[in-house]
Amino acid sequence: MERLLQYVFDGLSFGAIYALLALGLVVVFRGTGHLNFAQGEMAMFCTFIIWQINEWGVPLVFAVLIGMLFGFLLGAGTEATVIRSVAKKSPGGVFVVSIALFLGLNSLASMIWDRSEGYTMKSLFPNKPEDFVRILGAEWRYKYIGVLIVALILMGLLFLLFSKTKFGLAMRSVASNPESARLVGVPSGLVLAASWGIAASMGALSGALVGGINGQITPSLMFSVFIYASAAATLGGLDSPGGAVIAGLLIGVGEQLAAGFAPGWIGQDLKLSVALISIFVVLLVKPSGLFGSLKVERV
Amino acid sequence: MLNIKEGSVTHWAIRVVGALLLVAFIVYIPTQSETARIGQFASGFTLIIAAMSLNLVLGYTGQISIGHSAFFGIGGYTAAILIRDHGWSPGYTFYAAAVIAFVVGCLIALPVLRIRGAYLALVTLAVAVLFPTLLRWRKLDWLTSGAQGIDSVKYDELPVWPILGELKGRDGRAVFAYWLGLLVLVVTFVICRGLVKSRVGRSLVAIRDNETAAAVMGVNITRTKVVIFGISASLCALAGVLSTLSSGVVTPDGQYVTLLGSIIFLLIMVVGGAGTLSGPIVGGLVYVWLDNTTRGIGTDSKGIVGYIFGWTNQSPATLILGLALIVIMLFAPTGLVGLIRTY
Amino acid sequence: MIDVNNLSKRYGRHTAVSDISFKVGKGKIIGFLGPNGAGKTTTMRAISGTIPRSGSVMYDGHDIVSQSAESIVRSGIAHVPQGRGTFSELTVEENLRIGAYVRKDSIESDIERWYKTFPRLEERKNQRAGSLSGGEQQMLAIARALMSRPRLLLCDEPSLGLAPLITQELFAVLKSLNQQDGLSVLLVEQNANLALKVASKVYLLETGQVVASGTAEAIAGDERIRKAYLGG
Repeated sequence: MERLLQYVFDGLSFGAIYALLALGLVVVFRGTGHLNFAQGEMAMFCTFIIWQINEWGVPLVFAVLIGMLFGFLLGAGTEATVIRSVAKKSPGGVFVVSIALFLGLNSLASMIWDRSEGYTMKSLFPNKPEDFVRILGAEWRYKYIGVLIVALILMGLLFLLFSKTKFGLAMRSVASNPESARLVGVPSGLVLAASWGIAASMGALSGALVGGINGQITPSLMFSVFIYASAAATLGGLDSPGGAVIAGLLIGVGEQLAAGFAPGWIGQDLKLSVALISIFVVLLVKPSGLFGSLKVERV
Repeated sequence: MLNIKEGSVTHWAIRVVGALLLVAFIVYIPTQSETARIGQFASGFTLIIAAMSLNLVLGYTGQISIGHSAFFGIGGYTAAILIRDHGWSPGYTFYAAAVIAFVVGCLIALPVLRIRGAYLALVTLAVAVLFPTLLRWRKLDWLTSGAQGIDSVKYDELPVWPILGELKGRDGRAVFAYWLGLLVLVVTFVICRGLVKSRVGRSLVAIRDNETAAAVMGVNITRTKVVIFGISASLCALAGVLSTLSSGVVTPDGQYVTLLGSIIFLLIMVVGGAGTLSGPIVGGLVYVWLDNTTRGIGTDSKGIVGYIFGWTNQSPATLILGLALIVIMLFAPTGLVGLIRTY
Repeated sequence: MIDVNNLSKRYGRHTAVSDISFKVGKGKIIGFLGPNGAGKTTTMRAISGTIPRSGSVMYDGHDIVSQSAESIVRSGIAHVPQGRGTFSELTVEENLRIGAYVRKDSIESDIERWYKTFPRLEERKNQRAGSLSGGEQQMLAIARALMSRPRLLLCDEPSLGLAPLITQELFAVLKSLNQQDGLSVLLVEQNANLALKVASKVYLLETGQVVASGTAEAIAGDERIRKAYLGG
């Protein structure tokens, strides 16, 4: 019983991280119709920036905030320059460009921060061996609780942005009908850039949380998280933010349960495969995911 | 950028001169260069074949695939397993790999047919990442030798080819790999050209540009897409076989067996020119040249250049290609080949 | 109010609109008639700035031909597109609110006004807009456009696919808005009779060119034109 609870607790935290990154994927897809293949690498790059700023003496909390701002600028800037120009000429090209970004950011990070053993990243939350809470026999570490809370807060903020603000309404209108949005005077360019900016920002936070949990960061930090996030976004529905959150948490918990209760079959090697196979199954059975709409996809 | 009238004297001149240069170049390399250079070209051919196979699916039919590294791996592993564990001779492994990859390709393509765009990209992403993971799975160790991969794929008797005479040792193997690669490349090119120029090829483009219209025009979408995907998979597998034969090793971390491989194939194809026959060739050659040039820079240069290029993990060629890709997509989406337009 | 001169738009080799000129006087309802493909929708898009175009579009003394759609909306031109362009995923009320995006002042009184004018919208105000009937969506589209308090309303085929009763309601609203608020309207219609009833002046388009123009009475009374372009 404690084991089950343990897996659920840990799974929720990991799931929250996947959900953050998945939300980024969904925001971009809903707002622009494109899949940002570089979502994970943008997050990784911002995480390194956060680490670097922290190294230079800025307290971690502020470093994270600065990193998120940097992420916003990185995402919005990328959209306003490269993505928009390519989208005009060939919609399929945007995906190719995001692949190029995936490579480019990874290479750039490897060049700038090139220690092969990686770098030590501090955690935002108390991280000593005795920092945990005991619930019904299972240990819930402070840092995991912290991750879950921060992630939930951010998701809540995003939800408020979309449902209660004028700009959020503008973003939803562009997602719903870009042509009409122009007709009522919504600045489509700003909205598109903001979508990418928000997504990158969430990615930055996601990366910082992952770094804090792992203790160690390398350029390959976010790749598997990206896979999990893609699985979550797919399962939840590429255009459903609520779906991404629920699916993210489900995958997080499911992964822990699978690896924990069936180590012989799944264990560490195949944990990722569970996510990968679920991508397959969802797309073959119901491409719009659990909560997505059946709108025709753009490339 | 360059507009040349089809059928004009200039057009013919370019083609003839180009062909002559090509032939001269091709013969020059194995006879005059050092072994290392020959080896690079051999692996370049491998890349070009893979890029050409991807071109069939992505360039012509318009279906996104970043999963071709799995087929490359299937080819490579098939060859390794057959040669090391079952004593096959290298020649026949090509056929086996092609068949297996065709079947797997069709099996994957069948259910995945109606998926398009971002969703298809996700599925092929899953395939590309799943494949090396499966290779490492302990339960499949008996077949794949798990994480260490299969090495000592040796074949001692190098065939005696008429013009080349006997080839011995490491140098001999490099030259052998070169000519074998070239042969497979030519075969692949001929197959692709045949497909593209035929009615099948036109239906591919029709599918890419407007599937509904294509269906209305009588193109059997399902069958065409699946078969083309299967063929693409087998061609990619051939490249994998080549890779195993020339290096003697295949591992789950092999450069082209992982997702990175799929990405490189894609980059080469797009930079060269998607949807064209010569695009992947140009792209592959550019990549080989870049790889050559930048690899040297890392270890020798000092200062900024050394700082920029002196790293251990990836070839700077990949980064440069990535940047080139962005530039190309912005200014010349039809790739390098598209810069010279024939009308 | 708006003075268009030598407006042209080409899509590749196809010329959608070729060098046309027309005027919409202040406080007038002008009709744009013609068959499919005549270039009516293209002309509307050219005015509202949603497509690149060439020529001159003088509005309030400025040439807006190279302005962006956003700034054109801000200057008081609203476009109700063909097919209504509803934001299906948003609620009815959200559709209205986004219509007022360019405004900085309080919009509650406008929302009330349009709910009074179109009571059916108020009944469904929290419903997903995509679940409304065609007629209701058309009302919503017009109300949405009016939320930005435009001085010129571009209406593209509002009667398309609507039952006659609803169409009459709609046109009555347009007419009263024109009379009470001085709203200028450029009305594109395939249903010539409807247009001729509300418009004061009418232009006839065919294959991208103005082939005839005149007051509604004149055009309606002209046998030749009726037979040739308006189906008798």
